Amino acid sequence: MGSSLQLTPTAAPPQDRREPPVIRFEEVRLSFERQALLDGVSFQVRKGATKVLLGEASSGKTTLLKLALGLVRPDSGRIWVCGAEVSCLPESELFELRRHIGIVFQESALFDSLSVRENVAFRLLEEQRYDDAEIERRVRTALSFVELEEAIDKMPADLSGGMKRRVSIARALISEPEVMLYDSPTGGLDPITSTTIMELIVKLRDVNRVTALLVTHRLQDAYFLATHAWNAGANQAQPAPEAARFTSFLLLRQGRVIFDGAGSDLLASPDEYVHTYLS
Amino acid sequence: MDALPVSGWIKDQLQALQDFVLLLAQAFSNIFRRPFYYDDVLLQMDTIGFGSLPIVILTGFFTGAVMALQLSSTLAQYGQIERTGELVSISLVRELGPVLSSLMVAGRNASGMASELGSMLVTEQLDAMRALGTDPLKKLVTPRLLATMIMNFFLTIVADLCGIFGGYVYSALAIGLDSRQFWSSAFYALDFHDLVQGLTKPVIFGIIVALVGCYYGLKARGGTQGVGRATTQSVVAASLLVIMSDFVISRAVITFLGK
Repeated sequence: MGSSLQLTPTAAPPQDRREPPVIRFEEVRLSFERQALLDGVSFQVRKGATKVLLGEASSGKTTLLKLALGLVRPDSGRIWVCGAEVSCLPESELFELRRHIGIVFQESALFDSLSVRENVAFRLLEEQRYDDAEIERRVRTALSFVELEEAIDKMPADLSGGMKRRVSIARALISEPEVMLYDSPTGGLDPITSTTIMELIVKLRDVNRVTALLVTHRLQDAYFLATHAWNAGANQAQPAPEAARFTSFLLLRQGRVIFDGAGSDLLASPDEYVHTYLS
Repeated sequence: MDALPVSGWIKDQLQALQDFVLLLAQAFSNIFRRPFYYDDVLLQMDTIGFGSLPIVILTGFFTGAVMALQLSSTLAQYGQIERTGELVSISLVRELGPVLSSLMVAGRNASGMASELGSMLVTEQLDAMRALGTDPLKKLVTPRLLATMIMNFFLTIVADLCGIFGGYVYSALAIGLDSRQFWSSAFYALDFHDLVQGLTKPVIFGIIVALVGCYYGLKARGGTQGVGRATTQSVVAASLLVIMSDFVISRAVITFLGK
């Protein structure tokens, strides 16, 4: 994994208990057409940690990401992200907060009428604070981080699914967010591309201390996160026992939290549904 | 107990009306709030205005020609055939120019807006835009609203001129009307009230076309099939609203300006 993105490694432990959580959900409830999507969901994620959201389809995982971003409002309960209470901020203030949050959508959600360069630069162009040279430099840096600098002039229609996902990561990274939200980032991709994407996520977590929520249906991705750490010397993700400290799991079932804790506790859980899900 | 189907339908219609009014208010209030998307407005003006020019020219020309054809035969029965230009120009400037050019713009652009915004909605591009800190209403709806208002105004003038020219071509070639007689009767027949009516309507119709197109796009549900449905609905609704509001505006002008 070659990269020219200048990220500052930090020695601070990612799960420092003295730091307030970067993401916090408190008794969040949401229903749609009289059907409960989320029922009293509570959890928190500390700085530099990644929470893997697991569950069957329609269990409310993607909705949690949209709630964290303020794209959807809860019926009740409170949500804090980066110290701001997302659940009660007006939309105009949410736009400002979202500059600190990156998201990778399930289907990439690239703007299909814009080139890769324009997609990645979108946020900077909208902010109107940077000159063209600075925007070009940052776009190329973000694209080189995901190893797609050569695709800068292509249109999204010319990219494969994996390339789209990587451009989507580069677009989210351009403003160096404190929080990343990944919605099935490896869904529908081949194993090699999936590993590339997961390595990028590990790299962001370990090098940049980005706090993240990751929705996935692939247990192997979840365990990759919990068992691998970024080795700067080797420039790749390698098995490392300490990675488990940065990764926790949350299992949802029909909008309710069935499990919230470490990977080892998930495997040892006596809950029958957890067993069924993992098998 | 479930609500009666009729009351549910009424509730849905009221909800839709409320959403439409909110969209209207937000789109207009965004005109005065930063950031301003001048480039997007110009791009939309090019797409909506210049893109619609050929169909508006052809529609205007042939409408004027067919009016001259129909009116001249009727006027000939009363010995008033020299007034063909007058009737063609009044009908076009007051009613047919604004209505027909707006219907053409609705058919071409309301559908385009609904399908574009609808596709962006179902592929999560609008969510992505919000996630990237940009208000889609400000970035996408307000430029389309401004561009349609401005360009429909000018397209209507083009349609009026082409229509009168179409009427002249038929009158000169088919019924041998003197060209000076035609043009003088066509222009002297128009007064201030006709121009007020004829140039106010396209601005209001432009607002209707743009907002209806955007509204249906933003409300699209159900994947590509839903986008197709929203596209069709936007053209039908925009066309109907243009014709219905034409009556209301005409009535208001007659009431307040006396003609």
